[in-house]
Amino acid sequence: MKSPDKTALSAHVLDEIKELPAKYPQPRSAVMPALDLAQEELGHLTPAAMSEVAAALQLDPGYVEGVATFYSLFHLEPVGKHRFYVCTNLSCALRGANEIVDHVKKAIGVGRSDQVSADGLFSFEEVECLGACEFAPMMRLDHRYHYDLTSEAIDTLIAERRGVLHTRGEVAAKAAKAPEGPVKKPRAPRKKKADA
Amino acid sequence: MPDLRGSHGDQPDHILTRWFGTPDLHRLDVYSGKPGGYAALRKALLDMAPAEITNEVKASGLRGRGGAGFATGTKWSFINRDAPGPKYVVVNADESEPGTSKDRYLLENSPHMLVEGILIAAYAVGANQAWVYIRGEYDEPHRMLHEAIEEARAKGYVGPKPFGKDYPLDIRLYRGHGAYICGEETALLESLEGKRAQPRSRPPFPAVKGAWGRPTLLNNVETLSTVPWIINNGGAAYAKLGTEKSPGTRLMSVSGNVLKPGVYEVELGQTFRHVIMELAGGPPEGRKVKVFWPGGSSAPVLPESMLDTHTDMEALAAAKSMGGSGGVIVMDDQHCIVRAAHRLLRFYAHESCGKCTPCRIGGDWAVRTYERILANEGSQVELDTLQRVSDGLQNGRCLCGLGDSAGWVIDSTLRHFREEYVDHALRHECKVEAPQEAASA
Ligand SMILES: Cc1cc2nc3c(=O)[nH]c(=O)nc-3n(C[C@H](O)[C@H](O)[C@H](O)COP(=O)(O)O)c2cc1C
Ligand code: SF4
Ligand code: FES
Repeated sequence: MKSPDKTALSAHVLDEIKELPAKYPQPRSAVMPALDLAQEELGHLTPAAMSEVAAALQLDPGYVEGVATFYSLFHLEPVGKHRFYVCTNLSCALRGANEIVDHVKKAIGVGRSDQVSADGLFSFEEVECLGACEFAPMMRLDHRYHYDLTSEAIDTLIAERRGVLHTRGEVAAKAAKAPEGPVKKPRAPRKKKADA
Repeated sequence: MPDLRGSHGDQPDHILTRWFGTPDLHRLDVYSGKPGGYAALRKALLDMAPAEITNEVKASGLRGRGGAGFATGTKWSFINRDAPGPKYVVVNADESEPGTSKDRYLLENSPHMLVEGILIAAYAVGANQAWVYIRGEYDEPHRMLHEAIEEARAKGYVGPKPFGKDYPLDIRLYRGHGAYICGEETALLESLEGKRAQPRSRPPFPAVKGAWGRPTLLNNVETLSTVPWIINNGGAAYAKLGTEKSPGTRLMSVSGNVLKPGVYEVELGQTFRHVIMELAGGPPEGRKVKVFWPGGSSAPVLPESMLDTHTDMEALAAAKSMGGSGGVIVMDDQHCIVRAAHRLLRFYAHESCGKCTPCRIGGDWAVRTYERILANEGSQVELDTLQRVSDGLQNGRCLCGLGDSAGWVIDSTLRHFREEYVDHALRHECKVEAPQEAASA
């Protein structure tokens, strides 16, 4: 396991990134798969990590950052170890998604998508349609879809994740490192807008 | 087994979902058993000339299921098979249109059907390599498609000599990273090339200059999944189903306020009453359908009085809407149209890539206007603003369809539910829903 405080990529990840361009008809296509590897290692994309990706792919760091900021699955700020991506688009909203979001917020003790729970475990985000509307309300959590959500189902998912971590003794380690409160600086909106 | 909500079980009039529910249909041995999988690929490679395949698809009358409904065979024939150098097939598995889940349903239940369709298409248009652009959130469909491709590779169907034919075929996967605009075909190509996904202006069309600057056939998951059936049974058999101009069946993902939401295979020309009230069970006891989006959130809304509209593309065009992505969102009489429109405008504003001014500015402007109306701060000015923004977004003022779609949400909800807008904007009341704490952001 990597330490969560690490800000730069490890040698084996950089090696893996350097092998990516050869897999595509043109090397530039490797930028997102490379950012995936970086984010997988660090949890989110730090400026240092993006520069290292750029150097490994022989691209301009500004270019790599421009790509990273365009796509919502790249995180430029720390996120909880388990992030609730709750769909609140229309089909889910018609079946109670907004109440699910309210419940998630209360249960993990954060009010906004740029905050992380005090134990560092959880964060949430309202997302657009995830393509599983027949199971509304639904969400993505830990690379899986969860369907027909209820408050009880959310509570169980949270308890399971807290429990698992207890057994690994990671909660204590996390708690020792966690900053005072859950609230982080709000960050500027980071998507889209015309290239000036 | 994936969760199944929708058409499955042996129904002879179903083309795509007939074998869904068969245990382990996602495995190659099961798919090649009773469902007869990979017979179409074998036939295409060994018994048919590429032009014959394309002609069969033309004869079927199949139209793209990604949204625009373009004639599939005609699109295939735009690619100059004999041009030197690489050509590509790019599969649009970015499925992000609100209310649409049919590609996921196909990928999770029968990934080999798509793999087979891709390989046939590649051979027909002279491509040796196909790229599937799959939305990043689809972890399970990605895993299943990856396994299917590897199984097909192990069998040699993907490889240098499929069925002994000297025609190398390969399929690669590329994951998206969360941006609705990547579903638009030229934005998808930009993204595949490692760039910010901003649509390109056309011409050149992808058939001439597509992925990595090369001739490219771009089709939706459902479109290509239909191809094996057409090759097995003939284009004429497909054309017999559905209506004259919209032949065949299509998957409709029905969601929202219905008792049995699910992905249903529907012969085109059936009515929405059949789809919503029968297949999907209609709204909960004691409630009525108020409005539905017949083809994803981008298709202009139709009120309950138009439930007898037919599902074919011509009937929908006559009703001033469209078949779009096949996603049918049903809203009942307990929900407020102004709030629903506001939610969708938030979506379009958030997903605008920012390249064209009306879309970049108009979306945010509409959202703010809706917010004022929902906060009971509206007046005639706000109603006029909505109409003006909507006009500015439509009619080709934007580079891609996202701008139009945003405009249509405003325009069609205003057209069919003006009274409700007036209640909100001028009378500062909602007759439908209890007030909520601030429009949730
Ligand atoms: C904003 C926008 C989003 C789109 N999203 C999708 C999508 O998620 N999946 C898809 O197949 N087509 C989508 N399309 C349509 C594609 O641009 C394209 O027409 C289609 O993939 C072509 O395949 P087909 O001919 O098989 O339908 C979208 C179009 C627009 C304008
Ligand atoms: S219409 Fe909107 S999403 Fe489409 S290219 Fe223009 S700004 Fe981008
Ligand atoms: S609207 Fe929530 S999954 Fe489609």
